[in-house]
Amino acid sequence: MSLIAPAHQEKLRDAFNEMTSRVRLLFFTQTLGCETCPQTRQILDELPALSDKISIEEVNFVLDKDKATQYGVERVPAIAVVGEDESKQAPGVIKDSRIRFLGTPAGYEFMSLVHAVLLVGGRPPSLTDKNRERVMAVTTPLTLQVFTTPT
Amino acid sequence: MAFVSPNITAFAVEATEYPDLARKYQVSGVPKTVVNDTVEILGALPQDAFIDQVLSATAARDDTKVTK
Repeated sequence: MSLIAPAHQEKLRDAFNEMTSRVRLLFFTQTLGCETCPQTRQILDELPALSDKISIEEVNFVLDKDKATQYGVERVPAIAVVGEDESKQAPGVIKDSRIRFLGTPAGYEFMSLVHAVLLVGGRPPSLTDKNRERVMAVTTPLTLQVFTTPT
Repeated sequence: MAFVSPNITAFAVEATEYPDLARKYQVSGVPKTVVNDTVEILGALPQDAFIDQVLSATAARDDTKVTK
């Protein structure tokens, strides 16, 4: 049974229909000692059902340390949102959006995840032109951590 | 911002699942944004103000930085 009400599923399906490129969610997980990993997987599984442009790739945090390091993931559950480059027709070529979710994307965080998927899937960023230029001019590496709670 | 700039990485952190991180950055209310461990932004700000704050971290290592 879906976690999402049918009316919301319909809205999400419409929103995802606008996507122009494929998005992959790298789901970092481990089998033991992660209480919220199964719940996170359950939430993520809702998305590919709503759009054939969205896929989930499970990454074993214990066995695939290299990938975890590559994506700056130190604990699970964690999600990295990456775009798939379709122009080159080369499956597996991915563009990291550098957007990560640490913890279960439930409640309001689920909508944040949906927004991230839409953004990476081709929706124009909500930044104003001026702010977009300011952000593009950043040369210092910046790490943003946005703390939220489930609501 | 992360999507637009290759130099920016953004983490959405679920504070109750990462209590050590929440403690490290003394998160007592959400949303709270921490940039490079140097700039803290409390609450949700209008886009211009938020970006002002985030970009102020790029000057954080500069001693001539003017504190607002």
